[in-house]
Amino acid sequence: MTRLLLTVLLGWAVLTQAAAAQNGPLRIEITEGVIEPMPYAVPDFVPDTPAAADLSRELGRVIAADLSGTGLFREVPASAYISKIDNFDAPIQFADWKAVNAQALITGAVSVSGSRLTVRFRVWDVFSGAELGSGLQFSGTSEGWRRMAHKVADAVYSRITGEGGYFDSRVVFVSESGPKNDRKKRLAIMDYDGANVQYLTDSASIVLAPRFSPTGDRVLYTSFETGFPRIYVLDVGQVKRRVLETREGTMSFAPRFSPNGRTVVFSLEQGGNTDIYEMDIASGQQTRLTNAPSIETAPSYSPDGSQIVFESDRSGTQQLYIMPARGGEARRISFGQGRYGTPVWSPRGDMIAFTKQNQGRFHIGVMRTDGSEERLLTASFLDEGPTWAPNGRVIMFTRESKGAAGQATLYTVDITGRNLRPVRTPGGASDPSWSPLQN
Amino acid sequence: MQTGTKISAVVHVTLLGWAFLGGVFRSDPKPFEVQDVTVISAEEYAALSAQQAPPAIAAEVSMPEATPAPDTEVAAPEPVPETPPTRPIPPKPAPEPEPVPAPLPPPVAPVQQPAPNETASVVAEAPRPPARRVERVAPEAIAPPPPEAEPDPVLREEVIAEAAPSVETPREQQQATAPEEAVTEITPETTREPEPQALAPSASPRPATRPQRRPEGPVETAAAEAPKPDTPKPETPKPAVSKPETPKPATPAESAATRSGVASALAEAMGGAGETRAPARGAPAGPPLSAGEKESLRVAVSACWNVGSLSSAALSTTVTVAVSLTPDGKPEIGTIRMVDSSGGDERSAKQAFDAARRAIIRCGSKGYTLPADKYDQWRDIEMTFNPERMRIK
Repeated sequence: MTRLLLTVLLGWAVLTQAAAAQNGPLRIEITEGVIEPMPYAVPDFVPDTPAAADLSRELGRVIAADLSGTGLFREVPASAYISKIDNFDAPIQFADWKAVNAQALITGAVSVSGSRLTVRFRVWDVFSGAELGSGLQFSGTSEGWRRMAHKVADAVYSRITGEGGYFDSRVVFVSESGPKNDRKKRLAIMDYDGANVQYLTDSASIVLAPRFSPTGDRVLYTSFETGFPRIYVLDVGQVKRRVLETREGTMSFAPRFSPNGRTVVFSLEQGGNTDIYEMDIASGQQTRLTNAPSIETAPSYSPDGSQIVFESDRSGTQQLYIMPARGGEARRISFGQGRYGTPVWSPRGDMIAFTKQNQGRFHIGVMRTDGSEERLLTASFLDEGPTWAPNGRVIMFTRESKGAAGQATLYTVDITGRNLRPVRTPGGASDPSWSPLQN
Repeated sequence: MQTGTKISAVVHVTLLGWAFLGGVFRSDPKPFEVQDVTVISAEEYAALSAQQAPPAIAAEVSMPEATPAPDTEVAAPEPVPETPPTRPIPPKPAPEPEPVPAPLPPPVAPVQQPAPNETASVVAEAPRPPARRVERVAPEAIAPPPPEAEPDPVLREEVIAEAAPSVETPREQQQATAPEEAVTEITPETTREPEPQALAPSASPRPATRPQRRPEGPVETAAAEAPKPDTPKPETPKPAVSKPETPKPATPAESAATRSGVASALAEAMGGAGETRAPARGAPAGPPLSAGEKESLRVAVSACWNVGSLSSAALSTTVTVAVSLTPDGKPEIGTIRMVDSSGGDERSAKQAFDAARRAIIRCGSKGYTLPADKYDQWRDIEMTFNPERMRIK
């Protein structure tokens, strides 16, 4: 009996061993990696013409600032370089760039002819010795050299990460100056990185909540010019504006364009009740989308234009809801502790950014469109007003510091919660709205 | 009762009593010889029957290895400060440039990377001293050797024709056929230079293992023996069998016949090892890697698998990457390929594959630490990169 048992056990062991034996190549599964910035090198672009010598250096610096500013990349300092790029068409000495641990290499050449600027570049995967994508060339005016640099950085970012870039974009915001009790506010527009600031309005009246159109050529904002909040639409190129007429005795605010740019959704207060309306910009025809005794405001369309997320206190506390774009039954999506507001739908359509107030702290957070996977990305005395980068990976918002001398500052943060960094602006800045990528 | 009857009764009783009590009808099993045996797996049996690890053929030509510079942390540059605007209010926005993207012509061919490891040929071309002429003793030439020793002229020509254009550094043409094994003159034995020790098989021939299927097609061909033109492998006495699923490009006739002959000679000397190791790419011989050895490799690759720059879509994509390693554990870059992907579209899979490829190359640049005696087990590896746990960290 014992012998029989031993035989059975031995046979089982042999079968198990045979089953576990390797068949074909060795197979392993990697489930843990590292999350760290990718080292890259961007040597000065090669000036093809003498007039391009200065720009060739400046272009590289802006590209490096763009890439490193994402937190996803880390520039290898030029002092560590072994090779120089003196000829754009010369073969790359990959061993030299491997030696300085650069995983990506950006080479380029610049030429200036009159006012015409031409930039050529290539992106290389150093360790595989292959080019990422194909070489690309941009042409434009010399005055637009920063845009050239942003476009190159966008292409590099896209080729390495697989996502669209966001560097060649602009931000419209409220520029603030003066003490808190006498703060001057006016609309301003700038590059995403704070460069090229230009003012769109004067500071004679308070302006609020500027919002870019889907094409980036118009801006909606709220002005107290008449003493009551009214919505204006501003042509960014011509700096011309017109008011969106609403009924007498009403207050309209929190406007936002629909994805097709032909309609505007906004809040309208009438008789102490605030509801959400939709207006056709061309005809001025308005449609009421909500009808509740509570306050409904801060509407934002989904990218496909089929739904609207908004905030409401219909449950007794400020929460987020989603309803069909033509109005109808709304479903609540936020159920956490605290109050939720200013929801903004991601350009990708998969997430919603919001402001949350809980236990005396303000947060910028994101959640899925069904309310799941809520993540708080920031926490401070006052964080509010998120806006999405065109690629849906970065959020810009306003952070206001405490005290009488406190000032509003724009910040960006990755949707993972990493890489929180301020945006340099002249003076205070609040209420940002990120444009789509420029053409 | 008669006396005879009594005697008969006594005898019968005695016989019957002896039969029953003496064990004549006992049914105990007959004793049998017992011999202790040890049960081993098929892999262990194959490992035992396989030849030992091939001897080191020749020392590698050391290439200057670039020493990575210390990983200097660079402070992320702040956004470029801008001077406050000086335009009147409200100013008109500056006209935007209109960049016109235009594709550039194909890039110039990158500089060919130096061969990672130049290894000496498997045969040391030791010059033989000239034969001393002696008088002719045989009236006629001896009959040629058996047919299997003859090179196949058709195949050899084919290899030469295909390989010639793809090789960048053509090597010296060598004699394509082995010298005749019979001569019409007696060549006295001359003092040959001792061949490198490494060339001699270190293992004595073993009896042939279980018969295995020979792969289809010609076995002893120059194409199967020829190394890759761009990534020369160290010459190890590999079986002279081409890989069916990934046919390697043909190479010039450079030492093709010589290598073929040497390989067959080695295979023959190893007692049919070539037969048993022929399907090694499909079913590796030798003991499998232990769990610890696999974990060591996994950890080594993980250390370089950087998913920080991947898109969220790529972070949802699992890719399986195949790679072949050299005997010193370095990945052969040309063999890295994506064999499978799931969870994302083609673009996401491409990004995920790029990150996986970078990980394999970076951390394998100095060779993964793997047991040399189990090279057959880890020569071909399929790594599955599953970023599920890395999505939100």
